[in-house]
Amino acid sequence: MTDVIQVDNLTKRYRDTLAVDDVSFSIKKNTIYGLLGRNGAGKTTVMSILTAQNFATMGDIRIFGEDPYENAKVLQRMCFVRESQKYPDDALPKHAFQTARLFFPNWSQELADQLIDEFQLPTKKRIKKLSRGQLSAVGVIIGLASRAEITFFDEPYLGLDAVARQIFYDRLLEGYTEHPRTVILSSHLIDEVANLIERVLVIDRGRIVMDEDTEAVRDRAATIVGDAAAVDAFIVGREVIHRESLGRVSAVTVLGALTPDDRRRLTSAGLDVAPVSLQQLVVRLTQHTAGEPITVPTEEGVLR
Amino acid sequence: MTAYASDGAGTRTRAPNRTLSVVRMQLINKQTYIWIPLIILGGAFVLALAVYAILFNAGIDSPKYGGGAQAPLWYFLIVGVQALTLTFPFSQAMSVTRREFYLGTLLTAALTSSILAGIAVVGGLLERATNGWGVNGWFFGLPWIWEAGPLGALLVNFVGAMLFFVIGFWAATIYKRFGGLWLTIVLVGIGVLLVAGLWFVGRLDAWAEVFMWFGTVGVVGLSLWTAALTAVLAGIAFLTLRRAVP
Amino acid sequence: MIEEGRALFLQIAENVEDSIIDGSLSEETQAPSTNELAAFFRINPATAAKGVNMLVDKGVVYKRRGIGMFVAPGARERILAERRAAFADRFVEPLLVEGRKLGLDADDLSRLILDRATTARVPAIEPTEGTGR
Repeated sequence: MTDVIQVDNLTKRYRDTLAVDDVSFSIKKNTIYGLLGRNGAGKTTVMSILTAQNFATMGDIRIFGEDPYENAKVLQRMCFVRESQKYPDDALPKHAFQTARLFFPNWSQELADQLIDEFQLPTKKRIKKLSRGQLSAVGVIIGLASRAEITFFDEPYLGLDAVARQIFYDRLLEGYTEHPRTVILSSHLIDEVANLIERVLVIDRGRIVMDEDTEAVRDRAATIVGDAAAVDAFIVGREVIHRESLGRVSAVTVLGALTPDDRRRLTSAGLDVAPVSLQQLVVRLTQHTAGEPITVPTEEGVLR
Repeated sequence: MTAYASDGAGTRTRAPNRTLSVVRMQLINKQTYIWIPLIILGGAFVLALAVYAILFNAGIDSPKYGGGAQAPLWYFLIVGVQALTLTFPFSQAMSVTRREFYLGTLLTAALTSSILAGIAVVGGLLERATNGWGVNGWFFGLPWIWEAGPLGALLVNFVGAMLFFVIGFWAATIYKRFGGLWLTIVLVGIGVLLVAGLWFVGRLDAWAEVFMWFGTVGVVGLSLWTAALTAVLAGIAFLTLRRAVP
Repeated sequence: MIEEGRALFLQIAENVEDSIIDGSLSEETQAPSTNELAAFFRINPATAAKGVNMLVDKGVVYKRRGIGMFVAPGARERILAERRAAFADRFVEPLLVEGRKLGLDADDLSRLILDRATTARVPAIEPTEGTGR
């Protein structure tokens, strides 16, 4: 499996805040990644730097083995439409798609037309007059129809209702199955995308706190529920990442998969096991991370 | 730089030049670079002509001059600004390099400037032929601009339009890269320099020399100086753009 | 259908195995492809592939070159044996524990089981003929 993206010790500093802190990871070809994290964690900053729209303070990035900065050969194989993307004044959605067609070599007009239809995107309305959901739809359509070898989706569904989001997931999977590509999907709606992503990258306060196969992480934690004393006896030696109590009953979330032996012990102790979804795990982990609160600028670009 | 694209069947076709694609991108919505400048010019012209006609009919048959022809220039300056503030971020999303964007956009501005200059010259020729549209009113064929004939008029109109665009573009790159505060500082700084220059000229009582210089240099000379200024601003804009974030 | 907290590929494999057990997928018939499974469950095809590969490793399905995945002969028996072995852990143990809580001993539980079995007339699992997937 070749690495299409290689990031080594990437750091981005704004004045006195550290938006990205010594981040290293690699992205394999034709794999769907989830780039998860809270708002302001550094997801958009990382993606901007990877597409040469923003610049690293320190560190090295290689896309298809090359430096992407001002590198048309490499850049045209990528697509990054950001969450609050700006469009030319008075442009209509069709202008945006016509432009995309000019620059993305694998652009599929057929897919774009199908998606315009499915998202019910008004073709005669100016982009600046579109609703938040319709604006997101424009970005999503560009990302999907670009068929770019590396496509970034930056919180692509803000404003999209559940039906539209499902359309996005379905078309993404469909497109990926027929025309494999590398996809990096940034999201804070983790449970919705958990089944789509093959690998999980969690970024918290500018640092990578998880870089694993989704399947490996799915049973990484469990919540033990029952009599407080029995629960405490069971969880000895395990890392606790969350605890709740109601009277004599407590629910403790611990890290570590449960062996069949564990399960037998739990059953005999009369304790219940509740599964921990990927979202719950990521939420607990990113709440759990200790350290000084770092304020990350929410708006990129203008140096402060 | 040539690039090849595969059309899936394994045959290689010549991929379109991306800088030219930037021009096409700017022209997809023809309003911005074609129709609005023309409408503004047309509107200013009609307005001026109406005023001249009224004055003529009121008995004023001495030559009437107006500055309406500069109306589209101010709009063009705004186009220069928006090329940066709105189209640049979009071009980044289209995976266009800053260099392709810069060259393609300036090329598009040159196209519009050529159109405006062409119309100005044709309009000027008509104006002279009709002796001020029959009402001795002058919009295109202002004597100083036509001092070197139609070619001089073409040059000065082209360079003038490009200058306005580039000023807007240049100012916006500074804004994008360094922020509003620094842009203000730069503009104020330039303003201070200009005022200082004027004061200096006054101090040396050199106004006569200054006007003489303008006279000697003429339309063509002034156009060349303006072109040089435009080139300098454009160069600064490119260097600034290279590190700008959309 | 899809449970939280458990690897998806295991659940995919189980789902296919369930079909084999209940007879809707008979031996030597074509098993659902990776892409079909991915589309149906709305999951990443690579995950579905992992589940299918697990079934191949277990000998439950095998690949026929150029055609696809087929249910291996004897798969049903193998799966049943595996499930029976795990049955005591998965069902009997919790039954005993819960029974203990309610004050029911093993004899009480046996009586309950026999009662229910006769009155409810739960049909035994029989392989159905012919039509697989």
